[in-house]
Amino acid sequence: MKLLGIMLPLLVSLSLLSGCGEKEKFIVYGSPENEKEVEAILKEQKFVDKTTVIQYDNSMLVAVQIKPWDKWKKTKLEKKLQKKFDEKYPNKDVFVSADYKIFYEANKIKREQVEDNKLKDKIKKLKNLAKEET
Amino acid sequence: MVIVFQSKPSLIAGGVVAGPLEKRSIFSQYFDATFDDERWQMKTNEQGHRKMVEEACEFAMKKAGMKSADIDYFMGGDLINQMTPTNFAARDLDIPFIGLFSACATSISSLIVASLLTEVGASKLALAGASSQHNAVERQFRYPIDYGSQKPQTAQWTVTAAGYALVGKHHEEYPSIEAATVGKSVDYGMDDPFHMGAAMAPAAFQTIQSHLEQRNQKIYHYDLILTGDLGQLGLKLLKGMFLESGIKSEELQPLRDAGAEFYGQDETFQSGASGAGCSAAVFFSYVIQQMRAGTYKRVLLVATGALLSPLTFQQGETIPCTAHAIEITME
Amino acid sequence: MEKEQYQQLEQNVTPKPPYFKNVAKAFLVGGLICTIGQAVSLFYMIFFDFTEATVGNPTVATLIFFAMILTGFGLYKKIGQFAGAGSAVPVTGFGNAVVSAAIEYRSEGLVLGVGGNIFKLAGSVVLFGVVSAFFIALIKFILVTIGVVSW
Repeated sequence: MKLLGIMLPLLVSLSLLSGCGEKEKFIVYGSPENEKEVEAILKEQKFVDKTTVIQYDNSMLVAVQIKPWDKWKKTKLEKKLQKKFDEKYPNKDVFVSADYKIFYEANKIKREQVEDNKLKDKIKKLKNLAKEET
Repeated sequence: MVIVFQSKPSLIAGGVVAGPLEKRSIFSQYFDATFDDERWQMKTNEQGHRKMVEEACEFAMKKAGMKSADIDYFMGGDLINQMTPTNFAARDLDIPFIGLFSACATSISSLIVASLLTEVGASKLALAGASSQHNAVERQFRYPIDYGSQKPQTAQWTVTAAGYALVGKHHEEYPSIEAATVGKSVDYGMDDPFHMGAAMAPAAFQTIQSHLEQRNQKIYHYDLILTGDLGQLGLKLLKGMFLESGIKSEELQPLRDAGAEFYGQDETFQSGASGAGCSAAVFFSYVIQQMRAGTYKRVLLVATGALLSPLTFQQGETIPCTAHAIEITME
Repeated sequence: MEKEQYQQLEQNVTPKPPYFKNVAKAFLVGGLICTIGQAVSLFYMIFFDFTEATVGNPTVATLIFFAMILTGFGLYKKIGQFAGAGSAVPVTGFGNAVVSAAIEYRSEGLVLGVGGNIFKLAGSVVLFGVVSAFFIALIKFILVTIGVVSW
């Protein structure tokens, strides 16, 4: 009983703290080109918390999660990032989204190790999903 | 003016029927019946309310060995618009009917009228009382029953109960009705329908004071002065008013309130019970039985009522209240 | 006793509502309801194709469904007596107001009873919600036209 009294709070706090570890904040999947550049652009923005970039050929999906207090300006910051990427890569088709669903799906793509030929469709699908209004 | 009944009409019997929650009342052992279904297996709450009134009357008549055909008058009322449950019960009882509205004071106002009819010789047997049904009243005066509003500690719970008394010519073995005071409509500027006790206490005070004065009596002449439904806070306020007028607190011992005691210490019911059925249920079961057992020799029953409607509250009006008192003795 | 004297007596005798306790209870229950709402949102985003922008609709519908079940079983009023504003303010409170009115007035038939009374409590919410949305939009439109803010 006494052992449980010590172990239980210890276990609970450990499991809670495990989430505080430095998880991968920046993920790129697909073609590895420009990885360092993209990472630099995103790391420069103070409001970006985590990102997952999916790229293939000429299309790039940048899914970001904005830091909590900056979420008030989510749409503005999203547009800002979009503009930055459009300037940097004018000949690429870049889509930036701060939506959680897009971020989650992008991580899923990385987790499932989706094959290259399917990547383009997936990116297109996510782009359309993000544009839905109702 | 106080009414003195020279012929001393008798309170022959009382019939009291209550709903499922009222089984938890400390007075439930005195009730004639408590039902498990607050609708009495009828389709609507209002129909159940009517059935309850009929059942209470049946109990009262049966105890005296009488049937509807033997009764001269049926008077009573309830809190529902146009008093339809009582009207419809009157239809089924088939007795000459006087509907009376004094809100929760109807139990005594109808008893006073029945006693007057007996006094002038127009009635040999009369049924008088009142009733209330929780769901039907809440829907009309406040919110739908399932609505999640938060009631304050000063609120009271409308009981589901009906109490009717059979009044007849004087007979020694029954409690006698000696005198009565009709109350005025008294408004001390209270406007909170969730704090009716505060609105009704001044009316009770005025009526009791007037009765005692006119009868040349003091509080200690009574074994029990029972108000209808002031609730715990209303009773405190009533006692406060007596203390302010010079009465000492030891003298206030006979002063009790049916609503405050109805559900005991159960906090679910906040400040206590209320409703026309509250005073009727306690007066016509507990009090009559205790008087016949010899516990009380002289009682003053003071039913209190708040004369408001949902509309007057919305229109920003205060709450005028009334209290009617009747003095009953047992040799 | 004079009116003013009585009103003073009433003030002294009537217990003050436990404001601090009530605020704490409302805060906890309101927060809990919102947490459940967030869980529902996450559920829809992960298992279905809803984005943050579009998940509002199914979340609200689900919360109202929960409120409907709780109201029907007579549990919501118990939560309401405990939480006060904590359960009345969130959309579940709106659901409870509409559903409780619908249940209550069924005895008067579907058209006049339910139909005529279902928005008895919630009507003010709908009316003032729509009116204030109109005025806010109007003010924003004026400000945008002047050039002070952008859409």
